[in-house]
Formats: sequence, structure tokens, C-alpha cells
Amino acid sequence: MELLYDIIGNCAQAGWLPSIFQHTFMIRGFLAAMLIGPLLGAMGTVVITKKLAFFTQTIGNAAMSGVAIGLLLGEPVDGTYAGLYGFCLIVALIMTFIKNRSRLSNDTIIGVVLAQVLGIGIILMILVTSQFNIHQVEAILFGSLITLNDMDLITLFAAALSAGIIFTITYNRVMLSSFNPVLSRSRGLNPVFLEYVFVALMTTIVVASLKLIGALLVLVLIVVPAAAAQNLACNLRQFVWISIMLSTISTTVGLLLSGLLPVPSGAVIVLVSSLLFYGSLVVRVAVKGKRA
Amino acid sequence: MPDNAVCFPEADALLEIAGLSVSLGRNSILENISFKVARGSIHALIGPNGAGKTTLIRSILGQMPHRGTIMFRFTGNGRIGYVPQFLDFDHSIPLTVSDFIKLLLQDYPLFLAGRKRNMEKVEEIISVTECLHLKDRMMGGLSGGEFRRVLLAQALFPIPELLLLDEPASNMDEVSTSQFEQLLKKLQKRHGLSILMVGHDIRRILALADHVTAVNRRVVFDGKPDILQNPARLAEIFGLGFPDLFASCKAEG
Repeated sequence: MELLYDIIGNCAQAGWLPSIFQHTFMIRGFLAAMLIGPLLGAMGTVVITKKLAFFTQTIGNAAMSGVAIGLLLGEPVDGTYAGLYGFCLIVALIMTFIKNRSRLSNDTIIGVVLAQVLGIGIILMILVTSQFNIHQVEAILFGSLITLNDMDLITLFAAALSAGIIFTITYNRVMLSSFNPVLSRSRGLNPVFLEYVFVALMTTIVVASLKLIGALLVLVLIVVPAAAAQNLACNLRQFVWISIMLSTISTTVGLLLSGLLPVPSGAVIVLVSSLLFYGSLVVRVAVKGKRA
Repeated sequence: MPDNAVCFPEADALLEIAGLSVSLGRNSILENISFKVARGSIHALIGPNGAGKTTLIRSILGQMPHRGTIMFRFTGNGRIGYVPQFLDFDHSIPLTVSDFIKLLLQDYPLFLAGRKRNMEKVEEIISVTECLHLKDRMMGGLSGGEFRRVLLAQALFPIPELLLLDEPASNMDEVSTSQFEQLLKKLQKRHGLSILMVGHDIRRILALADHVTAVNRRVVFDGKPDILQNPARLAEIFGLGFPDLFASCKAEG
């Protein structure tokens, strides 16, 4: 990793890259943004299709409890991976289980679990903050470029690679199974299994992107680039690629701006993606006007 | 089996259901259902809402735990084509007709494949139900009739031995329903399809089906559809509700 940082740092010193890349935390952040952006963009299109946007928010909220559980279990303060991934995956899979086994609507289940993980998170955070630094928890909630370390980057790379491969392989089947479970079963698919696979992938990527974007803001980056792509795309292929492009622009440009301004990275990334969304609306209205 | 059931030689039955019962918890959804679907026929399954028609379709598709037997006498590919009543998706999603068919057709991820990949096959599939002109249209922007033709096209790829249609006339106006039925008859003759369709509009059943099975948890009627032309007999079989429906169609006619 050090070699990579040195090479990029030297390029910045030589004037080939912006001067902010002389800082290691900025290089780490940029690499994380390049990994997270495309994946959140691609997954966002399926999240919108499957109407899982607030499911994502629940996972983000569960991260608060996840960090606290990790710390209580004795994980280092800058790497609560088992607590975070473990708790968020358990919450996501339990929600999917309840959805498939009960007559409750998705909205109701999300409402119930969202409140529960928030309650548990607040109790645990109070327990934890009497022993640990609250700034680590704040970094999870709002994203913090400074706290991103090498281990986070390696974990993110492993998560992004595995999630990206599985997402690509299962994309057609996951999309088809979301339209009608009886039809997809008649075509030899297992919609329940595919739903668990997608939910696990989504949880992995949401958790992996928390330090950069933050638990409270991750929903925006999942939904907004895909929603903007929905305004511009004429078919599913364009839908995915435009969403990937807009999401990557949001994470990278937002990150570069957060290096220049004294504000959390997640907030600037979200602001950039929101501007892109409004831009897509303008383009859509203009194109419609031209056609009319 | 009711005494008025029309029987045909066993070898002519593509599908034979005997003593089928389905329960969900303590609720009995279907009780002792028995009937046969003749090879190459259009068989209608009718009944009021909540009668268990969709449960029966799901049992035939092997997606519902049940008691009793469901026997298929397939002689070809043994495929069952299924036309669902609806697709659950946000209608503003940029999902074109070609995209939908490609999702069924190919394992290769749709977003990595070129736009023209498998396009000839897509065109061949949607041409069967005369909707080639819809290939670049958004699924969410199709009319009820156009939507149903696309769903029928996917069910006919590859041509099945048994075609199941769940409420094909729902969300369709009179003209679209009539056109869809003509298409269905034409395809049935061309490919020798055996069709089992769920419906509740007796007037349409009379025009289309060769055989009717009426269910309301149990089989309440199994025979030729022409008996449904007699309102008194209809009232005797179905009780209240269905005669009203029949009267309304008579008034319109």
C-alpha cells in the first residue's frame, strides 16, 4: 500500500495530479470512492426496481448498533468489522425472513425493525461512549475521510470485488425474480434464495461504504444516482451504466471537494449526487420539450 | 367428480388432477378437486374471488404443497408456459419489452451485453404474439392488451405443452380482450396447445373455452360451457352472484 501511496503522492508533487493527493488520507479516500461509486450505482438500480430503498436505510441505522457491539466485544476502536458486518447482516437476513414468512408488508417490517435497531443502537451507544471516543461513532453516522485506514481499504476492496462478481452473475435472475415470484419459479428460479443473495450483497456494500459516506447518508447514494439514471435511460442497460457513472462522479467529485472544505465527506458526496439528480430532471424536461 | 362431468379417454387427458386438497394452517383452500384437461383443448377454470383458482394454478406449477395427485401425460418437451396476471414493478423503470425477454433468454448479464445481442431471438419470440412493433417500448407504458401479448410471448418460449393463463382478461378493454382471444385461438390451432385459463367472465368463457371447471373450494361444475347459457341452471350451480353477472352480459348483448 505504501508504494502505491508514494507513487500517487510523487505524481501530485510533480504537478501531474491535484496537490491534495500529496496527503495519504486523500489517496485512500479516492481509492475507496472509485470502488464504492460504481457498485452503489449498479446496486441502486436493483434497489429501486425491488423497492428496497428504506430497507437500505435500516441497514445503515443498524450500523450504529454494529459499531457499539464490535467495541463491546473487544474489537479495536478503528476496526469493528465483526460487529458491523455481523450485526447488519443478521438484521438484513432477519428482515428478509420475516418478509417471506409473514403477511406483513415490506413497509411495516421496515418500520418495526428500523425503530428497534435505532433503540438498541442508542442504548448501546450510551454504554459505549462512557468507555470510548464518541468521534468514532460519529464517523460511522456521517462519514469521515480522516478515519479511513488501510484495513478499511483492503476490506472494502475484498467486499467490492466479491459483491461485484456475484451481482454481475445473478443480475438477470435477481431482476426477473423481482417482477413476479410465480413466473420466476415457473422459469426454474428460486426468488426467495435470490432475494437473500441480493440483500446480503447490498448489506456488504452499504456497510463497506459507511466510513466514507456515513450511515445516515448512504441511502441517498444508493437511491439518487439510480433515480437520476431513471430520468435519462431508455433501457435497462443504460439505466445501470448511467447510474454507475453518476454514482462514481458523486463519490469522486464529492470526495475531492471534501478535501478542500472542512465538512464531512459523506455530506459533500450526497450534495453532488443531489445536484446531478436535479440536472437529470432538467435534461429530461428539455428532451421531452424537444420531442413535443 | 360431479355427475355432470364430461369424460374423455384417459390417453386424451394431458393433465389429470385427482383428490387435490390444499390447506394453509387451519384454513382449507381447496378440497378434493378432481378434473381432467384434454389435450389440445381450451379449458377454463372459473369461480368467484377467493375460490382458490390461483392456488390451483400454483399447485399445477408445483409451487404449492398439496395432497392428492396431479398427473401430466406429456409426450413432447414437458414444458408448462405460465402467463401471470400482473408483474410487480415500478412502471417508471426503463424496462423495455426487449429487456424483459432478454432477462428470460440469456444468462449473460443484460448490462454487459451489447444492445444487439440476442435481438434476432427476441424479435422471433415477440413476433409469435404479433408484438414485434413493441420491442423498444417501455413495459410500464404498454396498454393492458399489449402487456398481455408480451407476457404470452414469454410463456410461448419455447412452445409449451401446457399453457396456464391467470386471469388473461384483467385490465383489458372489450376490444383488446376480443383480439387477445382471437390470437389465443389462432396460436392454439397452430401449435396444438393445451390451455388452462383462469377467468371469471362467463360471457368470455362461452366464446372461448371447450370445457369449463367451476371451483369454489370444491369443484361445483365440470362440463361443456354451453350449459352456462341457461340462467336457471347457472343459479343452481353457482348460487347468487354468477346469475347477476350473466344477466348483466345478457342486457349488454
